Amino acid sequence: MTRANSRNSNARVAASKGVAFSKSPVLAVRLPDWRSRLVLFVLFASFAALAVRAVWLQGVSDQFLQKQGKSRYERTLELPATRGRILDRNGAVLATSLPVRAVWGIPEDVLKAPPEKLRELARLLEMPDADLRKKLDSDRSFVYLKRQVEMPIVDQILALKIDGIDTRKEYKRFYPQGEVVTHLVGFTNVEDKGQEGMELQHQKTLMGVAGSRRVIKDRLGHIAEDLGMFREPHQGRDLTLSVDSKLQYIAFTSIKNAVEKFNAKAGAAVVLDVQTGEVLALANYPTYNPNDRSKLTGEQLRNRVITDTFEPGSTIKPVTIALGLETGRITPDTVFDNNPGWMTITGRRIRDTHNYGVQTVSGIIQKSSNMGAVKVAQLIPQQEMWEMYTKLGYGQAPRFGFPGAAAGRVRPWKSWRPIEYANMAFGHGLSVSLLQMARSYMIFARNGDIIPLSFVKVDEAPVGQQVISAKTAAQVRTMMESVVGPGGTASRAQVAGYRIGGKTGTAEKIVNGRYSRTNNIGYFAGIGPMSKPRFIIAVMVDDPSGALRTGGSVAAPTAADLFSSALRAANVPPDSSITDIIIPEVPLEESM
Amino acid sequence: MSVKLNVLLVSLLVGCALSVVNARYQARHLLIELERLQQHARQLDIDWDQLQLDQSRLAKNDRIEGIARTDLNMAPLTPARTQYLTEGGQ
Repeated sequence: MTRANSRNSNARVAASKGVAFSKSPVLAVRLPDWRSRLVLFVLFASFAALAVRAVWLQGVSDQFLQKQGKSRYERTLELPATRGRILDRNGAVLATSLPVRAVWGIPEDVLKAPPEKLRELARLLEMPDADLRKKLDSDRSFVYLKRQVEMPIVDQILALKIDGIDTRKEYKRFYPQGEVVTHLVGFTNVEDKGQEGMELQHQKTLMGVAGSRRVIKDRLGHIAEDLGMFREPHQGRDLTLSVDSKLQYIAFTSIKNAVEKFNAKAGAAVVLDVQTGEVLALANYPTYNPNDRSKLTGEQLRNRVITDTFEPGSTIKPVTIALGLETGRITPDTVFDNNPGWMTITGRRIRDTHNYGVQTVSGIIQKSSNMGAVKVAQLIPQQEMWEMYTKLGYGQAPRFGFPGAAAGRVRPWKSWRPIEYANMAFGHGLSVSLLQMARSYMIFARNGDIIPLSFVKVDEAPVGQQVISAKTAAQVRTMMESVVGPGGTASRAQVAGYRIGGKTGTAEKIVNGRYSRTNNIGYFAGIGPMSKPRFIIAVMVDDPSGALRTGGSVAAPTAADLFSSALRAANVPPDSSITDIIIPEVPLEESM
Repeated sequence: MSVKLNVLLVSLLVGCALSVVNARYQARHLLIELERLQQHARQLDIDWDQLQLDQSRLAKNDRIEGIARTDLNMAPLTPARTQYLTEGGQ
């Protein structure tokens, strides 16, 4: 008993560190020593594991929790970049972006609204009630009801307090000048991305880059702390074009009137600045309203100045003559016998509209004689003519900085047959755009050099490339002035108060693969005022179907109109004392 | 001596803590004010664009021509009835 007692008490002391749990020997605890050590060890090990885990989470692998934390209090604010404006050379706004809203809805919720509210909503969105319901009849949980809704209307819509209707901020492009300058400026789509014209060409600089910044917001939505920029926003840059709104309007109305007056299919005009090579106006008719493009047709969209090419017809004759003069093969007074008004080259007949008889080189230009032009060309080797065309940019990829600019077509000189070369002397068998044609007249308007064109305002005059001498340029200018004088093909291009010069052209349109006798395009390309050239103006009237059809009778008066308004608008002092113009009833008919 | 120093340091510490609280409070207010003003500036920018757009719309050439011709009975001038003056009276 004593021994058992003593063993018992030993065991108890060991198990409980001397604390007796009970006096009764029956309840005496008999625990082995290792158990208490095990408990102690497990406890310490657990704490150690916690400590290691804490160090791991806070010190070593802390990104995950940091991110989770941030996502609970940090907000990223989008800083949208506004698309740059497009301005004319005097700073008038041609295109600008303003914030509008896209109205969207959750169909399920919206349809619960009372019918009169939905009717009101349809009225504000300017769509029939049935259309709105059709849009809402969808399984999707997000439906755009209308995009690009202007702010005053958005405020009214939100005031209706229809459940499930919300708005999203976006931008809308406005074109205050509308249809007048749209072929030059172009337009953007609903995503604010350039689709045509300058909007497309300068998309990158206009667009800008959206940025974002990190902030901490408090419970009320105020920004409590600025954590700095995440991405720096770059606003779209404004673009200043070379176009002059006033001249553009003048060009547009002239061409519009011409198309209506001569019952033509289309018309186009371009005005260039002789000193800087800037495009001051570029008008097309028919046209469209860029603010409402729902009924847009390809015919309206076509930019006939830049992206269409045509056979230049007689407007190329000054180039042929200039090369002859420049190479010393002819002088302005060299005489050609153009009897009997027609000639044959390898079996093909080339004719003038009248028999002009014996003509000087000046006379060839004034009366627009095909035979004369061919006879001059026959003195010039084909390769030299081809080089001239190339220097003037015909058939060359244009570097105008305009999307879709046409290069025109000039075949390599080695493949020209004699009849083809003869045709080219008066502008058939090669094609150019109206803008290329206008630009090539730079050599006459300037003193024989040609400069690059620009659709963007230029600050300093560009350096030209000499093509012909100043003397030749002056000689051709004198001839061009005689075209506009009495007895010339463009007597209808006379302008009161100003001396102008130019050349008419008429090309037969190709209908069903053959030249058509009845479908013409009339051109006039001119320079004014002659005493100190300021503008080059080229006009095209496509398919006039009235009594008057030639370039001299449809395009020349249009150009005269344009010259007289443009020179007056630009405050150019008059250089002619003739203020009353008597225009002959029937203009001299020119060769096709 | 050591007790006095402790009291001094503790009160300095409390003072600093309070000034930190105050500075944070001020900073937050200024930030909210800044945000408000930036928002205002953006709105003014938009208004400016809107006004320029309106100006451009109102100054549209065919609107002016229409008003000049119909409402004001004006006609374009021609060189025939214009007296040109040159500098120096030449």
